Amino acid sequence: MLKTSLVIFLLLFNSVFCIKQAAEEFEENLSLKSLRDGRVTSSFSFKTLLRDAAPRDPRTLALDNDDSQHYTLFPLTLGQILRQYAITELHLTLNAGKWNYESWGYPDESGVGVGAELWAWMADGSPSSIDERWQGLRNALAGLFCASLGSLDEQRTTSPRQSFPPQGDLPDWGLPHELRHASHASEHVCTENLTPFLKLLPCKSLSGLATLLNPHRIFDADWHGIGLHVLWLPEGVEVRLNVQLVSDPLRISSTNKQDWSFHSLFDRKVDQACPIAKTSRVAVELPSSGFYRVHPEPLEIKDGQAYYNLKIANEAWNIGTMWPTDFEYPLSKPNQALVPFSVQRSLRGSTQDRGELSIVVTNHQQNTLQLRYLETMPWIIQFYLHTIRVHSDGVLKNDLISNISYVLPVAHSRPATFESILTLPGGSNLTFTMNVAKAFLRYTEHPPDAQRGWDLPPAVFTPLLQSRDDSIGRIYTPSLLVDLATPDFSMPYNVIMFTCSVVAFIFGSVFNVLTRKFVVVRLEPTEIQDN
Amino acid sequence: MFSLIYRRVSVLRLALFIAGYVWMLVIPSSQLNRGVYFDENALQPGQVNTYWNWKEVRDADVFLEQLERLRDSNATSEQRSQFLMNEFLKIGLSASTQSYEFTGIHKVINGTNAYAILSSPRVSGAEATVISASWLSRTNEGDGTLNLRGVATVLALSKFVKGYSLWARDIIFVISDGYMEGMQAWLSAYHGAPQSNLYAQSLELTSGVIWTAINIDYPGHSLSHLGIFHEGLNGRLPNQDLLNSFQYISRRTGVPVVIYDHKEEDSQLNWLPSSMQNHHEIKTYAAQARNLWRHVGFQASGRGSGVHGLFHQYRIDAFTMFALPASGPHGFHSLGRIIESTMRTTNNLLERLHASFFFYVLTNSDRFVKIGNFLPSAILISVAMMFGGLHVWVDAAWVWTNVTKGEMKEDEKKSVENKRLEPQPTATPHTAMVWVRRKRSVLDVLFIMIGTHIFGASTFFVLSSRWYNTVSFGPVVLFAVAYALPLVLRQLISQPQDHLAVSSLAPAHLVLKAFNLCLSSTVISIITVLNFSLAACLAVALGIPLSTSSPSSHKVVSLVKYSAYIVLGFGWILLGETTKRVIWNWDILGVWLLPFLCIVYFPLMLQAALVCII
Repeated sequence: MLKTSLVIFLLLFNSVFCIKQAAEEFEENLSLKSLRDGRVTSSFSFKTLLRDAAPRDPRTLALDNDDSQHYTLFPLTLGQILRQYAITELHLTLNAGKWNYESWGYPDESGVGVGAELWAWMADGSPSSIDERWQGLRNALAGLFCASLGSLDEQRTTSPRQSFPPQGDLPDWGLPHELRHASHASEHVCTENLTPFLKLLPCKSLSGLATLLNPHRIFDADWHGIGLHVLWLPEGVEVRLNVQLVSDPLRISSTNKQDWSFHSLFDRKVDQACPIAKTSRVAVELPSSGFYRVHPEPLEIKDGQAYYNLKIANEAWNIGTMWPTDFEYPLSKPNQALVPFSVQRSLRGSTQDRGELSIVVTNHQQNTLQLRYLETMPWIIQFYLHTIRVHSDGVLKNDLISNISYVLPVAHSRPATFESILTLPGGSNLTFTMNVAKAFLRYTEHPPDAQRGWDLPPAVFTPLLQSRDDSIGRIYTPSLLVDLATPDFSMPYNVIMFTCSVVAFIFGSVFNVLTRKFVVVRLEPTEIQDN
Repeated sequence: MFSLIYRRVSVLRLALFIAGYVWMLVIPSSQLNRGVYFDENALQPGQVNTYWNWKEVRDADVFLEQLERLRDSNATSEQRSQFLMNEFLKIGLSASTQSYEFTGIHKVINGTNAYAILSSPRVSGAEATVISASWLSRTNEGDGTLNLRGVATVLALSKFVKGYSLWARDIIFVISDGYMEGMQAWLSAYHGAPQSNLYAQSLELTSGVIWTAINIDYPGHSLSHLGIFHEGLNGRLPNQDLLNSFQYISRRTGVPVVIYDHKEEDSQLNWLPSSMQNHHEIKTYAAQARNLWRHVGFQASGRGSGVHGLFHQYRIDAFTMFALPASGPHGFHSLGRIIESTMRTTNNLLERLHASFFFYVLTNSDRFVKIGNFLPSAILISVAMMFGGLHVWVDAAWVWTNVTKGEMKEDEKKSVENKRLEPQPTATPHTAMVWVRRKRSVLDVLFIMIGTHIFGASTFFVLSSRWYNTVSFGPVVLFAVAYALPLVLRQLISQPQDHLAVSSLAPAHLVLKAFNLCLSSTVISIITVLNFSLAACLAVALGIPLSTSSPSSHKVVSLVKYSAYIVLGFGWILLGETTKRVIWNWDILGVWLLPFLCIVYFPLMLQAALVCII
């Protein structure tokens, strides 16, 4: 006992010591890219590194004297949450829109599933269970980001370890680490999420690249998302806040050109870099062909990227690209696909009790591709695994699906987790179908907007790397909407139901009274004794 | 109480019949209907400033010019869809084509649809709205008039909506080939509902659940009014809020709305004295009766009134905006504004349209009859038939007969004692006129009824078979068989009537009539809530004829009656083109009218016919 507390004390002391000594670094980056369909993707990344710090050991949660949080750049509110629940790794994304992999390519930050997605790696061994800490974490983050993350409850929480491996390191405490993952497709991201997000930055939105984060423009973009990533690297604990957006200059401008600049995209310019940032850099990916002009003149051009260093004093940065000719939409598909495979997912069948989940995956490459396919489905959709059929180019080939693992759903409480590996021969088209049953809900379980249907979370596909240098990670499908059998909650039906119930009740009682004969049955005392 | 009803049942039946039929006639009057209103508060129709302007009209004109060139060059449907897809791609939408082929029992129909999906900014793409136009206009139910302006409107609209970020769901633009068949193929591929005689290429692009759809039909050069066509397949109707929003917006924009293509001016009252012609009430009644007649035609036949009708089978609220051809004053400008505003109204929806706004009869574009004001008419007739059936059933059990007292058996005596009326002593002391109970042979009659339905089902299989539709004399032969077979069977099965048994066994025709009336009444009541027009037609077709069926002592009269019932019940197969259309609708679109006529309606009539000859 004494020994363990000594160890814990040493650990604690050590971490306190480390934090006190830690150097904190902040860097900001923005990369911009013109896309094939005339849109522009901008990816902001704000990184704060707490050098030589380590995540909190969950065993120290029992001691409750973790008062070592003195940060200069690292966001304190976030740090408190991380230490309170001893989170090793955390990823939170809030996105709006459907990421179009075919014409936009693979995103800089892979978490582009629609709505809210939260996943965290935590070590076991604390007095409170992992699920309790998970609940505390999502409630704390809900408060911090003004988002309905509290609804990521056990009805949406799963643990698909294979598809969401830790991106940093896991400390070697000799404790098992667990993953908790939840997503909520119908959560919308808006200004009330961005404001607390900006507060986590050392320069807020007063200077540096964060100046560009103008809510009016961000939330008008075709696709936008904010993300928070906390991971442990050998250097220390890294907090990465990122904003990604895909804007359409052709929609914003009145001309028919795809020209863009900071001013046209964000309605703002960058007056100066964040003074405490170690680096403040903008990278513009140069178009592969055609005439264009990048302005102002870049500092450096490397690997098809133009780099700018905002630390160099300038009169308000307004970086942009201009084209001499009008933009024309491409009439054919690109010769080389931007992503190695594309996925189409749909829930078919027009009845309210049965349906068919259908996935079509197309391999754009010539070599065989192996994909990990993950469905985390709320219990309202129940899979019939025996009806799985896999067709490759129209031919039934059930051997192309393997390694199926399935966690059964529990009605009214736990979602299903379905994981498998799909093998796609080169250039083939794979169709996966499975029959599903749609649940019949209790009437109190329907949401207030009952006739809208239920949003189902996106499926996740992860390629199993085969010694290729691909940086392709997870690919999210769009979410689905399912119609369950829904009572008409509107007034006329309520009136009909209510009246019918009353009439049935009165009729039943009156009928009983009229047709039954009530008599007093006398029992002989001996019979009572027998009984 | 019951005996009172029993004694007055004939009067009651007559009263119910009269009330029912009069009620049906009164439905078009302005006393029973009321003005339309909005039930769904989220819709907020006409609350937006529209952006559609002359620039978009110019785009539409340019598209129209190209489409006219395409028409003049006799382009194949393949070339057309390729052109449309390219135009969509130039606008910056993801677009594709879908080819299909119906190998129906008539002839092979094939074509190619073009469609495009606008993945609206910021939305997850789980919900979608469809804007569609078919290549053929609905003028005379697809007689070959091209819907070029409708297609041009859709193209211009797709270019227009791309410029805004206010759309809350994906917008799918579909230019379907042909009149109905193209959209049928597209929808069945979209929803993964395969049809055995249809090969439809699977869709390369998909979006989410479709909530609403607007079909645009603009066959003329300009338009004077916009017409609403709303009846779907098998009598389904779209949510009335959608129609109300559209007509409200259209009126606000300055384009008058009519129902179908019925302009108010063309009056049909020339045969009335002029003083009555101008009477307001009579004019309204005449106009609304005309609308109602058209509505009943569309709904009862189940064929739907246009391309929008195909959407209803997948629970999508849809209607057709029909631009009434005229030389003015409206055109792309007004039409575009109205469509934009309607789209933005449906864009406000957070849920599907619901609120039980599906039971209505539109008697005018801004007047409708509520369910409580039209449903009872058919129900009253059905109740009258039920009373008639029960009355016959009770009558079949008793016979007023002349019995010699000594011949009366013990059980008969008992039954006489149990009867409702006292035996009436008659003049002769040895005989008495008494009510005697007799047995009713239920099982035999049930077999006959099941037999008629099986016979109906077999005629359905013959009608929907390929070889029937290839021979020209098919209808005549089938009618002759349907006419003769029951007669032949009747001759083969009939046993010599045992006159002694008459008093102890109820005649089969009475029991059959009782069952026939009860079954018809049930069928009508059930169908009232599914397809009111069909129920009303059945009430008219079955009500009086079935109630008056009876055998005649004269053989020839019986045979004439029998023939009349058969003609009523099965004569429709001799109608030539109409029958072909009904068969086509069943084969390609899955309209239930053909099986219903064969399996339900004809057997009911056949049973009445059998009542006459048994």
